[in-house]
Amino acid sequence: MRPFLDSIGYAHWILSVLLLLPMAGVVLVLLAPERWARWLTLIVAIAEFVLALGLWWAFDPDSGGMQFAFTMTWLPELGISYRIGLDGLSLFMILLATAMMPLLVWGSWFAIDQKVRGYYALLLALKTGMIGVFISLDLFLFYCFWELLLIPMYFLIGTWGSTNRLYAATKFVVYTFAGSILMLVAIITMVTIVARGTGETSFAYDHLVRHSDLLAPYAPWLFSAFALAFAVKVPIFPFHTWLPDAHVEAPTAGSVDLAVILLKMGTYGFLRFAIPFFPAFALSRPVAAVFVALAVIGIVYAALVSMVQPDLKKLIAYSSVSHLGFVMLGIWGGTVASVQGAIIVMIAHGISTGALFFLVGMLYERRHTRLLADYGGLARVTPRLAAAFVITAFASIGLPGLNGFVGEFLVLIGSFGRFPIAVGIATTVVVFSAAYLLVAVQRVFFNPITHPENQDLKDATPRELAVLVPLIVAMVWMGLYPQPILRRTEAAAKRYVETVRPFLPARAPADVGAR
Amino acid sequence: MPIDLLTPSGVTLALLPAVLLTVWSMVVLLVVAWRHGSEEDSRLAGWLSVVGVIGAAAATLWLWQSGAKSTGQPHMVYLDAYRFVSELLILFIAGATCLLSLRFLGKQRLLAPEYYVLVLFAAIGMQLMVAAADFILLFIGLEIMSISVYVLAGFDRFRRSSAEAALKYFLVGAFASAFLLYGIALVYGATGQTNYVLIGAQFAGSDTSLLARMGLALLLVGFGFKAAAVPFHMWAPDVYDGAPTPITGFMATAVKTAAFVALVRVLADAFPAFTGLWQPIVAVLAVASMIVGNVVALAQGSLKRMLAYSSIAHAGYLLVGVWTATDLGRAAVLLYLIAYSITSLAAFGIITAVERVGSRTVMLEDVEGFFRVRPWGALSMGVCLLSLLGFPGTFGFIGKWYLMSAAIDRNQLLLAVVMGIGSLLSLGYYLPVVMAMTMKPERTPDAHRQVLFSRAAKAIVAAAVITNLLFGVWPRKVVDLARSAASQMSAPTAPRPAGDR
Repeated sequence: MRPFLDSIGYAHWILSVLLLLPMAGVVLVLLAPERWARWLTLIVAIAEFVLALGLWWAFDPDSGGMQFAFTMTWLPELGISYRIGLDGLSLFMILLATAMMPLLVWGSWFAIDQKVRGYYALLLALKTGMIGVFISLDLFLFYCFWELLLIPMYFLIGTWGSTNRLYAATKFVVYTFAGSILMLVAIITMVTIVARGTGETSFAYDHLVRHSDLLAPYAPWLFSAFALAFAVKVPIFPFHTWLPDAHVEAPTAGSVDLAVILLKMGTYGFLRFAIPFFPAFALSRPVAAVFVALAVIGIVYAALVSMVQPDLKKLIAYSSVSHLGFVMLGIWGGTVASVQGAIIVMIAHGISTGALFFLVGMLYERRHTRLLADYGGLARVTPRLAAAFVITAFASIGLPGLNGFVGEFLVLIGSFGRFPIAVGIATTVVVFSAAYLLVAVQRVFFNPITHPENQDLKDATPRELAVLVPLIVAMVWMGLYPQPILRRTEAAAKRYVETVRPFLPARAPADVGAR
Repeated sequence: MPIDLLTPSGVTLALLPAVLLTVWSMVVLLVVAWRHGSEEDSRLAGWLSVVGVIGAAAATLWLWQSGAKSTGQPHMVYLDAYRFVSELLILFIAGATCLLSLRFLGKQRLLAPEYYVLVLFAAIGMQLMVAAADFILLFIGLEIMSISVYVLAGFDRFRRSSAEAALKYFLVGAFASAFLLYGIALVYGATGQTNYVLIGAQFAGSDTSLLARMGLALLLVGFGFKAAAVPFHMWAPDVYDGAPTPITGFMATAVKTAAFVALVRVLADAFPAFTGLWQPIVAVLAVASMIVGNVVALAQGSLKRMLAYSSIAHAGYLLVGVWTATDLGRAAVLLYLIAYSITSLAAFGIITAVERVGSRTVMLEDVEGFFRVRPWGALSMGVCLLSLLGFPGTFGFIGKWYLMSAAIDRNQLLLAVVMGIGSLLSLGYYLPVVMAMTMKPERTPDAHRQVLFSRAAKAIVAAAVITNLLFGVWPRKVVDLARSAASQMSAPTAPRPAGDR
């Protein structure tokens, strides 16, 4: 595969093509007749996925630096360029985003029956923004993509969402915009400070990281601005309230995209930007204590809230908050194992939570309700859906042999040295997550049928199986043989750890998690 | 091409665009004296005015491209890129206002073709204001502009609100002019000069006298009124709401441009020695405008009123650029004026088209479901609102980002953060408009039947929106233009105060 990819110069054009193809798709979908919209989107999505798949082979796992890099001047006097590139961290975000795309189209095939053209155009626009966020190596570019994502998501929730959609869409945009507007001030300030120190005005990521020592005196303010933007997106505990609303009100594809990619942008931001720019401050004891404490609170609190949710979609939304707490714990763990674990949790959560949202969407299409109380006994009526749901729930719980286990295990052992108490608390929470998901499974699929409407529901159609089977295969494969993924993320994780290691407090603060 | 500004012919040549437009507006006035009856006549006057504006713009371009430079002593007018760019912007706005009014006047039964002549007169005043290097010329320009706009604000004779707007604007405006004139007189008393550069030279090195300081304060009050900065903004909402919609757009963009360019000139050339004195005042005005404008806009139901308060907030953003007293800041002011004017103009153009016959104003409910009936109009409006909000991908973002850079470059984080908070607040009133247009159904089946989008208006709105997006993605040309214009400003730049790192 490698020689073939080299022969077509794959490494030179692939990222720009991945970025531009969905944009071209938007134009195509808008210009073509409405009945072609979903077919065109499907074609673009599959083309995008096939193109992106080459990254798996073309990616050099031994290099921790940026690969497939490409630079083009944009505003040279102001130090702004179109700089893109990819490393082991962003590689899987891109693969996840592109692989999800055809599934999203299949998943919305019949569910979206009005304003079809706008829907698919927005779905494609969203994809451009996502890919842009993960490959930008220029902070100006990054900020542009980061904000641009809001627009398609706003319209997806606001136009195709359920009853309370206007409220949820507004809340989503206001929260995210509020978080990120100060990041803009921080970015400009950073560049100004570095430009004074080095004489070179540049928004390039490498340039800023290399001179991050110049930023140290201003780190508390600058880091706070970045952290706020990312914390809202993750979302970390007190900033999470937009998430359940957005998830519940969004159409299925919107929920899936939110869970699979948008939430990862927050943790990605911490790993890529916030911590490498201000390592000394971010990893100092008090700051680490705050973030680890918030991560653990998030894990526990969200798990507890999930247990009492009557709404299936809300339950899964809260479980996302809990899972992303593990990612935050791994990021601050600061060892190769914990960081790799964090990346694996990001991927695994994307796959299993994405699948859960798809399943909820399928149930909703059949019964037009998301309330647990309206279901019951579906295992006899829809055995295939039930099987898929059970496997996915187990993956989400973190059963060994499925994908959820690998990442959480690595995070826990990797972080134990620094935060034993936090890890101790987080480990017990796995029990809660088993409790809420298994209870949900029982109430939906296994109790006796109490509602006559549930008697004759249709089981999964081939189209729905085409959505679910690839996801389940991925869950099993990642759970049994995570080696190829670990190998490809190792170099990036090592590079991150080497960046931050000098700044870790010398003695492991044993009590940090308890504060 | 060197121009000797001490000779009458030199001054005439330097003011050629304004002179040409004056002559042409007299011609149009004569034409409408005979033909002022039908809608046809009104449209004829409109098109004639557009021709005049194009001619004046061509003259401006010619002066600029021929490299006109003044020679010798300090003079009455500037001949530099900063003037030419702002003059072209003003002429573009005037022309666009005429085009947006073509069908609107017929629709609202305002068939008095003097309307267009008054727009031209106002544009002439503004041209003089941005070209002025002397307080006398500045004041003459300001008065020509103001009196024309007072009349235009009250042009809708059949509506009380329009008359009220005109009267309010006239009284407050006259007051503001008096402040400005008093300030000029005091400065003259302190220095014996009316030329900015000579005044600046007199102040340099000498102790600042009380007379001069009072003069500066009164000048700032006068400019604050014209630019509608808090706390001198009280007139703006009523006047913007009451005036005919294209005129509201004209006031929000062209008047603001002229006032800000003149303010930048006066502060940079006449009062560099007072930087430590006026900077805190400007900073307070900026913060107050950003906060008050944005917060009060949140509570508005009428789109015109909402945009009026938002224009107060935008004056606050612009004042941040004025505050910096650096080349970067002056470039940012020019860039933001271009971005803001293009965007606002298109937004007011769309509101003009939506406005119903005889209706007092356009309410938020009136645009519900607009996207379904007029997708392109709604999309354009959406782009304009995002640009005003400062969303990446639009020209407004480039402008706002540049203003922030200028403030941060002077270590002024507070103003940058307040700008950020202001943008966040403005999300609260721009977003509901987008939501009403795209996500809510129409109130009544024929809600948008009266939408009247003339071909000329469509062309102007489309051009503005496309320019907006183009400069949002590829701003290099226009950023370079603003930077070089600011760096070529004839006077020495303000000295940086002590304590600047």
